[in-house]
Amino acid sequence: MAISGYLTPIFSLSVSPFISAQSWLSQRYLAFSDFFNSPLDMATLSSENQRLENEVAMLQSEVVALQENLAQADILYALLDFARTNPDHEYVAATVVGREISPYLQYVIIDKGSNDGLRHGMPVVTQQGLVGRIDALISNAARIQLITDANSAVNIKLQTAQVEGLVRGSVTGEISLDMVPVGTEVQLGDVIMTSGLGGTYPPNIFVGQVLTMQSKQNVLFQTGSVQPVVDFSTLSAVLVITNFEAVDISPLVP
Amino acid sequence: MLSYFLGFTGFLVTLMLQLSIFSQWKILSGSADIVLLYVIAWSLYDRTKWMWIMLLIMMGMVSLVSALPFFIPAIVYLLVFWASRLVQSRVWQTPLLAMFVLTFGATIVQILLTVGFLFVQRADINFSQALIEVALPALLLNMLLAIPIHALVRELAFIAFPQGVEE
Repeated sequence: MAISGYLTPIFSLSVSPFISAQSWLSQRYLAFSDFFNSPLDMATLSSENQRLENEVAMLQSEVVALQENLAQADILYALLDFARTNPDHEYVAATVVGREISPYLQYVIIDKGSNDGLRHGMPVVTQQGLVGRIDALISNAARIQLITDANSAVNIKLQTAQVEGLVRGSVTGEISLDMVPVGTEVQLGDVIMTSGLGGTYPPNIFVGQVLTMQSKQNVLFQTGSVQPVVDFSTLSAVLVITNFEAVDISPLVP
Repeated sequence: MLSYFLGFTGFLVTLMLQLSIFSQWKILSGSADIVLLYVIAWSLYDRTKWMWIMLLIMMGMVSLVSALPFFIPAIVYLLVFWASRLVQSRVWQTPLLAMFVLTFGATIVQILLTVGFLFVQRADINFSQALIEVALPALLLNMLLAIPIHALVRELAFIAFPQGVEE
């Protein structure tokens, strides 16, 4: 009869008070047990929490370090890519470790020097384009004069206009275009490459793009502003072209 | 000997911080020169006889890392040394005021010498741009940083010259 289910309502009615009582008792017991055991649990949880927090902090610092390494690796891969696509030159990769003290001068210091085969006047590039040239060096460090320095002048050619000119730096770190003959049609955005004239830099290295042009009356040359292709404020790794010997024309200058 | 060691160590730390961090902190195109600020602050508190030798070494190191010609830091640092001795004997009760006065004067002299040097080298200089975008922001940053640098060097000087630091 029990199997057939005829007694189920009777069983339910008779068992339900016991279940309720059991449930009440169990809850009270758990509450009682928690009351006495919770300080121990709290202490365990607290120490566990502390341990996990320490672990999280350690992992976070590891993540930051790995992200730094990844960013550095990205830069190095890009430099390597550039070196592979420009096999005419030999390169030495270097890290920028310092910047010029005076705000009027635009120089950076790299961690490679004469021990690594670097010499005075060697051109310095990144995967984007021209950075500058070595101005001074010791055995394990070198100072690079950036093309944005006020004393820097780079002979260039405009790719579309097919004319030559000069890119000069300034005390504020901006670069400008000069010595472009009047009458030359220069398009904004025209690509500026090194011309190789003067023997200071190898030809066909990307310098920047024409931003604006100015042509005044009664002057022989047009001037303009240039958007450099290299972001000099975030420069962190560079390539020094070691198989290019800069020509020193200073004895020929009157 | 401790004073020389602390003074020189402080200078090296300052130089490294300048090259790696403070040269990149810019307002417009001007940046602070905490090496100059350190030299000024240390000169104000220095009580040693041979400070000028340490100054020569500092000049040499700055000339080594900077593209500035040797005579610019030499003139500025020697002027700072001379002026700090002068100031110590007259307004020694107010070293912070002396720090401000010397920072202002030394920054102006350094700017004038640098611009003069670039002008002689026939560099492409727009004087109004050089004043507004470089000189004034650099002066402002130097004046702002003069306070913390002075406070740090003062603490260092208390260790280096326990008897002789006036405040």
